[in-house]
Amino acid sequence: MPSVVAVMMTLLSVIVWPLPYLGPVMPPLAFIALYYWSTHRPDLFPAGVAFAIGILNDIINDFPLGVSAFLFVLAHQIIWQQRRFFTGHSFFMLWSGFALAAGAMMICQWVLISLVQWQASPVLPVLIQTVLAILFFPLPCWVLIRLQRNLLSTP
Amino acid sequence: MLTRRSTFSGWSSAVATLSWRGVSHRFSFLFFGGLAFSLLILSHAQPEAIGALRVHVIDTVAPVLDAIARPMTAVENVMGSLRDTVSLRADNQKLRDENTHLVEWQNAVVNLEKENRELRGLLNYKAEPGLSYISARVIADTGGAYTRGLIVTAGKTDGVREGMAAMTGEGLIGRVVEVGDWSSRILLITDLNSRIPVTVAESGDRAILAGDGSTTPRLMFMPRDAASGEGAHVVTSGHGGIFPPNLPVGTLQANDHGVYAITPAADLGRVTYVRLVDFDLKGGTFNSIESKMRAESKKK
Repeated sequence: MPSVVAVMMTLLSVIVWPLPYLGPVMPPLAFIALYYWSTHRPDLFPAGVAFAIGILNDIINDFPLGVSAFLFVLAHQIIWQQRRFFTGHSFFMLWSGFALAAGAMMICQWVLISLVQWQASPVLPVLIQTVLAILFFPLPCWVLIRLQRNLLSTP
Repeated sequence: MLTRRSTFSGWSSAVATLSWRGVSHRFSFLFFGGLAFSLLILSHAQPEAIGALRVHVIDTVAPVLDAIARPMTAVENVMGSLRDTVSLRADNQKLRDENTHLVEWQNAVVNLEKENRELRGLLNYKAEPGLSYISARVIADTGGAYTRGLIVTAGKTDGVREGMAAMTGEGLIGRVVEVGDWSSRILLITDLNSRIPVTVAESGDRAILAGDGSTTPRLMFMPRDAASGEGAHVVTSGHGGIFPPNLPVGTLQANDHGVYAITPAADLGRVTYVRLVDFDLKGGTFNSIESKMRAESKKK
């Protein structure tokens, strides 16, 4: 179930929303799904799923193949190791953890894509996207919490 | 004694499970991380090797994207209707003024067309190939902060070919770069990798329109003595046989220390439907001139 939700969120992040100019700064829903399931149900969201979601994200967004896959697998490993720190306290800790993870992820993604394309990508849209992702996090997170409570038994 | 032994065996099995989980987790991390990194190197070294995979995956997810995008398109249509209703009175007045202006132009065009026909007859002029259009709905706005692209619901089965120009009613928005059976990917003119030969309609100055990730792509290789001013119309030049000539692209912005940029004619933030221009030239890719020369030499 978490993998299906992550695939759907990856697709949702690229559809045309009725808000003009949202596309370039759309929060990375695939990464939000990865962060949530890696902290809450790592047993149902192994590294192979993180890899597959990354490949799908790369192909749909026309990124160099392997960029998101590599970063998602790396993020999955780090989040898995630190999941007690992220989930053991309050929602604020989970949110702060996401802010940290999303910031690091965006920097690494910018560096990798700029290196592969041998051309510096514009920084401003990445900054806006990161800020929006952090501010926007509680909404998809709330949906994921509801889904987990209704469709999955707690571990 | 029994209790102590059972406690010990419970601990040891728990430790064994934990360490097995840790090892398998670490192994899968190394395996998938290595695989992703290898793919990254491969895709950089041989991008064409994974081109077919990209097209296949997009074709597979296109029906799902289409299903998710439909309600959003419906909402956008309703919002567009509301916007139109609000501005109805102002639009009506604007259209009346425009109509009066266009009627004057119509008379001029009829005369010019007649004159053109006569002159073409005198020169034995070969007419430009005709244009036909394939309409498609936008189902995805891809790329996030890095690339600028769209996925549309038309592919090989509808006659779409790589290299076709993509337009809205207002002007050029990009070109087709990947074609599947039912879907295609369009690279927008604002993408970092977009390069399109253009001409300034008023002055005839030629340039290359290059995307830079912003909403206002730049003009490269504009002549130093360019006579083009702010507000001049930029159209496709048709050079290289990639695009048909004279497709509207945008208007020139003020020259900022020798850097020219354009404001696209089409509103790239609100594209829901596109028209793919079927230009009657064989090819449509960057080697089209070469293929034309080959065809001509075969004829000889």
